[in-house]
Amino acid sequence: MSRQALRGATAITGVGCTEFSRHAGRTELQLACEAVTAAIVDAGLDVADVDGIVSYTVDPVEETELVRSVGLQEITWSSRIPYGGGGSMGVLAHAAGAIVAGVADVVIAYRAVRARSGATRFGGAKVAPSPTSGHAGTTAMQWAMPMGALTPASWMGLNATRYMHEFGVTNEDFGRAVVQLRAYAATNPAAWGYRRPMTLADHQESRWIVEPCIRLFDCCQETDGAVALVITSTERADHLPNAPVRVGAASAAGLFEQEIASDHYRPNLSVMEGSVALGERLFDRAGYSRSDVDAAMIYDAFSPILLMQLEALGFCERGEAKDFVADGNLGPGGALPCNTNGGLIGEGYIHGLNLVLEAVRQLRGDAANQLTDPRTILVSASRTGAILTRD
Amino acid sequence: MCPACHSLRVDVVELSGRGVVYSYELLHHPQHPSFEYPVLIVLVDLEEGVRILSNLTDAHAADVEIGMPVEVHFAPTAGDMAVPQFRPARMAP
Repeated sequence: MSRQALRGATAITGVGCTEFSRHAGRTELQLACEAVTAAIVDAGLDVADVDGIVSYTVDPVEETELVRSVGLQEITWSSRIPYGGGGSMGVLAHAAGAIVAGVADVVIAYRAVRARSGATRFGGAKVAPSPTSGHAGTTAMQWAMPMGALTPASWMGLNATRYMHEFGVTNEDFGRAVVQLRAYAATNPAAWGYRRPMTLADHQESRWIVEPCIRLFDCCQETDGAVALVITSTERADHLPNAPVRVGAASAAGLFEQEIASDHYRPNLSVMEGSVALGERLFDRAGYSRSDVDAAMIYDAFSPILLMQLEALGFCERGEAKDFVADGNLGPGGALPCNTNGGLIGEGYIHGLNLVLEAVRQLRGDAANQLTDPRTILVSASRTGAILTRD
Repeated sequence: MCPACHSLRVDVVELSGRGVVYSYELLHHPQHPSFEYPVLIVLVDLEEGVRILSNLTDAHAADVEIGMPVEVHFAPTAGDMAVPQFRPARMAP
């Protein structure tokens, strides 16, 4: 099967979500059920049409519980994606692959989290290796925790400091991206940052989480909520009510010596090499051009990785993301409008899947901050990603 | 398993304990009772080619620089164990 076998063969035909909050007041299972049923209704399908389900390895909702609760009748295929949030966009490649291979017809992708009100806050201190790929954490974490590196920010900060050193980047450069994200969030009623715009001075006055790279306002919002997608074949999607959002390309790149968040052992940490490989797969091998992309939704758990992905994916040269951002290119009139829902920093953190939700809304034309006629959108979670199109 | 040759034989090799700072960070938040904040973290590239995550002691955060030479010492920790820590190099390699 060629590397372009997925191209346009499948489409996202339904999306659903709960509210994004700091205290959902209900279980992840209930959140997942609400998002999944909303997505099935949005797609114009019946529960009995669903025969495939995919989520992240770290999602707490068991497949059997979801099947029983929603009333799914017969599942022929299921899958889970490793690599934590970095794997989030992988649900698209798995779903598309299953449908093209003929082992599923209608696939639900879901993620349900209580990242804020759950037993441990997502960004809180962890003193034992925690599941990142559905297991017991990685060996790398065992070398980080005894030294006090207990949080995602503390793991990613080391990469960010090296990046700043190599290219003369400052925390203020990250702040300029955050100001744009918060501007988008300020006009998105679903966002944590709704009606809360932020200036660069506000950003620079926020307290250090990890010095010299990550301040409070560089961090995503720990959020409760769920997002679900319905994916099916393009042939079937063409007969459903919503304008199909086609999966043009979908791929992943997990590299030798690359870790999850505590990714410290590749030789050069100033470049997100997994994203370099992902970009080659999504563009060069799948036959898309970077200039085709009208907007991008890029995983921004912390602001430094937004700039680093812009470079690694090939939207600007190494070290030039700071200038690309400062020139306003992430804004609605820029060369690459980015995270138009406010991103994980401004809207909320449904572990990346709300970025796919936003891409679908933009391509359908019903986003809160609707761009003018976008037709091709990249979604990237650094090591998994997809190109979604309206054509 | 050795990813290069797939050998399962394991040996203990004594290293020089010398290296240079590859990256660093100063942790302010959140704070865990087991540590004194801010916590100074370094990634050290050891002479032998191994990279290790550790703490830098005997130094002010403002004096940390990427590329600075450091050397190992061991600090006691829970269960009569010791963890490797680094400080600015005192002797020439």
